[in-house]
Amino acid sequence: MDLCELRKKLDGGDIGAVELTKEYLDRIKRFDGEINSYITVCEAEAIAQAEAAQQVIDKGGSKPMTGIPLSVKDNICTNGVRTTCASRMLEDHIPIYDASAVSRLKNENFVMLGKTNMDEFAMGGSSQTSYFGGPKNPYNTGYVTGGSSGGAAASVAAGLCAAALGSDTGGSVRQPSAFCGVTGLKPTYGTVSRWGLIAFASSLDQIGVCALSAADAGYVLNSICGRDCNDATTSPIPSGGYTSAVGSDISGIRIGVPKEFLDGSTDEVKAAVLEAAEYYRSLGCTVKECSLPSLEYAVSAYYLISSAEAASNLSRFDGIKYGHRSGLGEDYNELIKSSRSEGFGREVKRRIMLGNYALCSGYYDAYYNNARRIRTQIRKEYADIFSECDVILTPTAPSPAYRIGVQENDPVKMYQADICTVTVNIAGLPAISTTCGYSAEGMPIGMSLIGRAFDEKTIIAVCDRFERDHERRECVL
Amino acid sequence: MRYQPVIGLEIHCELLTNSKVFCTCQNEFGGSENTRVCPRCSGMPGTLPLLNQGAVRLAAKAGFATNCTVNGYSSFDRKNYFYPDLPKAYQITQFEHPICTDGHIDVAGGKRIRINRIHIEEDAGKLVHDDYEGVSLADYNRCGVPLIEIVTEPDFRSAEEVQDFVTQIAQRLKYAGVCDARMEQGSLRVDVNISIMPFGSEEFGTRAEIKNLNSVKSIGRAIEYEIQRQSEILDGGGKVVQETRRYNENRDDTKPLRSKEEAHDYRYFPEPDIPPVLLSEEDIEAIRKEMPELPHERSKRYTEEYGLPADDASLLTAQKEFSDFYDEAAASEPEYRMISNLMLGEVSHLLNETGSDITEVKFSPAELAKTAKLAADGTVSKGAAKEIVSIMFKDGGDPRRIAQEHGFIMDTDASGLDEVIDKVLAENADAAEKYKNGNAKLFGFIMGQAIKACGKSANPALIKEALNKKLQ
Repeated sequence: MDLCELRKKLDGGDIGAVELTKEYLDRIKRFDGEINSYITVCEAEAIAQAEAAQQVIDKGGSKPMTGIPLSVKDNICTNGVRTTCASRMLEDHIPIYDASAVSRLKNENFVMLGKTNMDEFAMGGSSQTSYFGGPKNPYNTGYVTGGSSGGAAASVAAGLCAAALGSDTGGSVRQPSAFCGVTGLKPTYGTVSRWGLIAFASSLDQIGVCALSAADAGYVLNSICGRDCNDATTSPIPSGGYTSAVGSDISGIRIGVPKEFLDGSTDEVKAAVLEAAEYYRSLGCTVKECSLPSLEYAVSAYYLISSAEAASNLSRFDGIKYGHRSGLGEDYNELIKSSRSEGFGREVKRRIMLGNYALCSGYYDAYYNNARRIRTQIRKEYADIFSECDVILTPTAPSPAYRIGVQENDPVKMYQADICTVTVNIAGLPAISTTCGYSAEGMPIGMSLIGRAFDEKTIIAVCDRFERDHERRECVL
Repeated sequence: MRYQPVIGLEIHCELLTNSKVFCTCQNEFGGSENTRVCPRCSGMPGTLPLLNQGAVRLAAKAGFATNCTVNGYSSFDRKNYFYPDLPKAYQITQFEHPICTDGHIDVAGGKRIRINRIHIEEDAGKLVHDDYEGVSLADYNRCGVPLIEIVTEPDFRSAEEVQDFVTQIAQRLKYAGVCDARMEQGSLRVDVNISIMPFGSEEFGTRAEIKNLNSVKSIGRAIEYEIQRQSEILDGGGKVVQETRRYNENRDDTKPLRSKEEAHDYRYFPEPDIPPVLLSEEDIEAIRKEMPELPHERSKRYTEEYGLPADDASLLTAQKEFSDFYDEAAASEPEYRMISNLMLGEVSHLLNETGSDITEVKFSPAELAKTAKLAADGTVSKGAAKEIVSIMFKDGGDPRRIAQEHGFIMDTDASGLDEVIDKVLAENADAAEKYKNGNAKLFGFIMGQAIKACGKSANPALIKEALNKKLQ
């Protein structure tokens, strides 16, 4: 059942908001011990919110999200509910305010089931760097969920919420959505306010949605988007109406397939994506090969920019005002050192080191400035492609989900696996990932549709069309 | 050996905005600790800065006040360092693209001091060390207070040039409403970069940076001390170390704070949370139009249009309110010179004596102008005019009425004057005799005695005429 239909059933009285929430809470109890998609479950608060939602529904004042139970990634601040970023550093951090995305949902009386698991400070592609232990893939619990929004994607795939808020800095919504066989939408930079999103890399971060379909993802985005006076980087361009093109005729749409993305992908992934391209051709879309020559530099540029920003953003966690405070340390410098040594995990430390190194006065030009140049170049190359195409089709990841423990400890391999997603963040574009096939091992394979800036409407419609004609396999828990 | 000092300045000025630079907390001085703090200025995780457009306007005005180019494109950067008074562990500042560039101010002697740039940044909090409890506490009230930093080229060659420059900067910023420039409260802070080199050399020496200078006087003393200190090092065959030093007012010396080896690598990079500041030509022109007349411009007007001596003009314009008062008085009666004399004489004297400010006086500019007019047209004497000012200063009141009540209106007919003069000459026969015999200096003495004898309504002009007649 999609969210539109759920809305009708809630408003029509066929489903009660409280029962719906209780059903999800019950499923979380039954299945999340194994999946570990939630760090914090807000049982009492969720039921209270559902009761309030039901009252609104009964009065006939429901809004799109009224009574709909969502999960929220644990780097999005929630007033009074601890927000850990899956780090020991923020194990006990309870924000005193709501992120704008959350307060907009609260204004519509949504229900927040809990806070989802992730890579520590959203740094990773497996969610296995979580201080609270990594989540498991609902399709096969021996496999990773992907990341960093692994908990969000798993919670949707396992039916532990109706949809989920995640965040995407270099693929963190799309890649776990691909691994967990759901739909992940990363909006254009500036579409959703970052107020209350604990920053990883501010120029790349964007709150996105994991859902069971493209239409659902657009449905949720409609309620969280828009200019926010608390975030100067939100766009003044009018937002909303993201599902308005769903169901319309997509023949004539020009789809570009950049060859460089397929080169590094497994044969299974390549075949599934090309088959999707054929499907679109059969609908009357124009499919043509195109090129993003700078792709080979994208991962390096991404890790330099994101780590530089992260090193700065995470500096405030010094154990003085924010973050875990060590019992060790005779003076200020010693105290910071021991607090940060104890509070951060290995991957976070690695990125902080990398970022500070890239910004050092002797290396700034060679690293950070070159990364900025590549950023400009990638934007230009995307603009060139979009002068001839409406949508770009790529794999979401070079491979499907892999077994837990296989490659999470090899940082270079992990970083290279981000190649299909990072350019979208570097260019600030919108993209949506959906399942385009299944591997021999039965794991979902994801494809991504990238759109022009602020043209989420088109990629949602093109994605929705594919989803209607291709069955999504339910995962068996 | 005597050396040539080479000096450049970095001047931090707190902007007179209502709220802080990246949040809506009040921008004030003093008050209880941590009472003007919000999630934004305390850097709570997930919060974002929001640029105060008022701070941009004031920074642009500082640019106009110092002959800078106000740039249509400027942007913010992060300066990263750990310190407990900086809750985000980075300061938001303008590094790559400052709002103002390429300005100058001419100092006494006509020398032009170039200004490299003016940029906007946020202030940090304050640490309070509690020695009794043995702890350090952080007060974040000052976190996010808007600052501009004015950076000059190393164009100064003497303490006097620096002092004149700082005085002018303070005056101009006050005039433009940019900063209240209270050095003792820290709303204007000057860091001095100083090195020395042999006279005639073109190669600068190693510089020291001096902080904690809270008056123009301290600046002069610290520079003199540094020249002496560095000269002694060089004379002794040593090398000056590049370091930051702190001036101690009580000991009148400077002591090292930190050396270059300990200097931070600030790892600047563009602030991703704040879009670039774009000002169109119209925006910039609109801000320029809000600029008031600046002290040096006013001073020029006073000398050229009002015929005041340059020294008087610069004294009148030192404080904006004082000069505003003068302008208003001059507008009501064109007795420019007389009003200026009263303001720089009796009014300044009374303000100093009572420690009060021109904005608090009990008389209006028009009333002062009227007093000047009474003196100028001979209704009262200049001395009486001073007394009228003194009375108005104490109790207020209309100057003409005061003149009447106190008998200051000068006699206009000479009847009866002869009698008084005869009496004075009789009493001072000796002096009168000596004067007649050629001691011209004694005329003033006799004149004084005659004025005294005539009382408050004495008319010096008439008395002089009568005396001249009688002493021929």
